[in-house]
Amino acid sequence: MQIDTQQITALAVEIVKILAAAVVILVFILLVVLYVVLKLRWVIARIQSRLGPNRTGPWGVLQTVADAIKLFQKEDIIPQGADRWLFTIAPAIVFIPAYVVYVVIPFGKGLTVRPLDVGVVYVTAISSISIIGIITAGWASNNKWSLLGAFRAASQLIAFEVPVILAMCIPVLLSGSLNLDVIVQKQTGGIANWNLFNAFPMCQVACLMLLVAGLAEANTTPFDLMEAESELVAGFNTEYSGMKFALFFLAEFAETFTLSALLVTLFLGGYNPPLHILGGQLTGYWYSLVSLVWFLFKCWLVVVFILWIRSTFPRVRIDQLMNLSWKALIPVGLANLLITGAYVGLWLAR
Amino acid sequence: MRKSLLKDIVNTFISLPKGLWVTAKNWSFLRPSVTQLYPEEKPTLPERYRGMPTLPVDPQLGRTPCIACGACARMCPEHIITVVPEKGTDPKDRRPAEFTIDISRCMWCGLCMEVCPKKCLKPARTFELACYDRQGMIYRLEDLMRLGGTLEPEAEESESSGDE
Repeated sequence: MQIDTQQITALAVEIVKILAAAVVILVFILLVVLYVVLKLRWVIARIQSRLGPNRTGPWGVLQTVADAIKLFQKEDIIPQGADRWLFTIAPAIVFIPAYVVYVVIPFGKGLTVRPLDVGVVYVTAISSISIIGIITAGWASNNKWSLLGAFRAASQLIAFEVPVILAMCIPVLLSGSLNLDVIVQKQTGGIANWNLFNAFPMCQVACLMLLVAGLAEANTTPFDLMEAESELVAGFNTEYSGMKFALFFLAEFAETFTLSALLVTLFLGGYNPPLHILGGQLTGYWYSLVSLVWFLFKCWLVVVFILWIRSTFPRVRIDQLMNLSWKALIPVGLANLLITGAYVGLWLAR
Repeated sequence: MRKSLLKDIVNTFISLPKGLWVTAKNWSFLRPSVTQLYPEEKPTLPERYRGMPTLPVDPQLGRTPCIACGACARMCPEHIITVVPEKGTDPKDRRPAEFTIDISRCMWCGLCMEVCPKKCLKPARTFELACYDRQGMIYRLEDLMRLGGTLEPEAEESESSGDE
């Protein structure tokens, strides 16, 4: 059998491309998390009439870098009685889904790593895997607080996965595609074509639902029951320190950015500029660059909004959280899905 | 039952934006931060701030008007003040040759300043007394005069008139 050199070169090029994309995404996630943590501290400080970090580097921009270096220097403790193997791989199980989800997010025109045709399904499926990591962490720690946090995480993430999917179905139905790139392209041509400003009231309800359920999924403050520090010490990551804790931290903030990226992609026009004049007339690489800037700008707005929510609302009780999902979001989401289906099938199809 | 549910839903959509509005007001320029950037921005001390005891310099004499009577040293509950008098040619001319306060044991009770007959032992308007060893905590006459600044005659008059 003859070895086809062309095929091998193509394979090699593909592998190099994949590795390059992996490195670029990793660096991007690190930068985003460094920034989001810093911004969180600034926003919370300003809301509490403080100044926030301002000593480390100019305006305190190196604060999170210093925090990260401190975390990496810390001793990596594995408690006695813990399941060493599970304890070690749990942070990876949490971080890898948060990292791999970035593959399908359209950062700009032609800047998706893999524009999968099942993008939306991929995102929901992959991001659910992190629950396994959290339960593993809670179980392996051999600590009652960790285990309680993990139980809560499981019930919360299962409860809120459903509204997230129900909300994500609405733009999918309207665009007729599960591909995030196609959903974005359907929203080209100015702010009036964005999903948020169409199909009243289905899209607005879905957007709000995705925001609320996504906050619960991303484990941000009004719904951060799995690490409620006043009740559970630190929840599932009580026993973690050093690098492993850093991975949990990284995954949490990467998920926050994923949520804002999904909100932008599905409802806020993705990488499309809000007006045609603001970059719509460009072509080629220039348009890719401008659309990337627009995407990041919109994500920044959503992230700041999330941080605003995070620093405003107190934590809900566990029964309130469950009621919100099973009694409010899921029925409304189902009704919304039915109405949107009828709208798409009976009204738009005519 | 149904009515209260509806009320709850309406309340949710009113109260959540209300909460966001409250924090947004703080976030904006409406409420500047209350943080003091300490080393660059010194706090404004209250008018009657009571710091460590010092010996301000009387601008007319060019030194402290202290007569080295030793009342402060006797009064001090911690015995941290040491006064060694020095007599001039005039029998009325008494001044301290040495005046040492070991501030490391001072408890800021202010009895020394209260008991001083010449009202020349005054609280310093400084609080940055940190140093690297205990020797730095021992303040001699010249340190106490430097820290004390100039004696304000106005303040002295008002205080003495209050006593009488």
